[in-house]
Amino acid sequence: MLLAYKAALASPRVSASAIESTEFPALADSMDVWAVPRIVVNGVPQWDGAVPERVFLDRVLAPAFE
Amino acid sequence: MAIFRPEEEAKVRELLDALERPVELVVAHGPEETPLPGARDIDFGAETEKIVEGLAALSENVSYRVEDRPPGIALFPAVLVLPEGKDRGIRYHGLPWGYELASLIGAVVEAGKRESSLSAESVERLGALERELAIDVFVTPT
Repeated sequence: MLLAYKAALASPRVSASAIESTEFPALADSMDVWAVPRIVVNGVPQWDGAVPERVFLDRVLAPAFE
Repeated sequence: MAIFRPEEEAKVRELLDALERPVELVVAHGPEETPLPGARDIDFGAETEKIVEGLAALSENVSYRVEDRPPGIALFPAVLVLPEGKDRGIRYHGLPWGYELASLIGAVVEAGKRESSLSAESVERLGALERELAIDVFVTPT
């Protein structure tokens, strides 16, 4: 979660939200959340679990550069 | 209601002492609560406000206010974390309790830094971003 927040602080184009799955079950279901943390970028589920900073950047930036 | 045990409070106070700039928290209650099955006794918005109030009490650099429905917010309760009062898109949706309280505290600590704690390379890559990027991280409190 912290990496997402750090990314948002580093760029005005990035926003980062934590979403408490159990309080928003319909939304969590729609994102196929069954393990956390589940990372969703621009509304598209990407991956589960914590990753190192470089991997996090590689993954979140990839769709943006398509 | 005490938010932290005494030893936790000392630790959080120490983390918040490191803030280099003011951080404002906005608690958004939203429209009328939709009770969750089995959780009807919990007012998530009120509990969230208590937690945020508890954090603000631990540092002169942390303040908070309450807004019912800030623009662009659809999930409630929500906490917006504003470094120097500026909205940089940092939110926590839901009640930040249990393990996830650390996420909110982490957001405040990071927002209170003048320099990014990411590597220079990461900052450069993010700076080159030409599209909007909305990162949602689904979490649970346990």
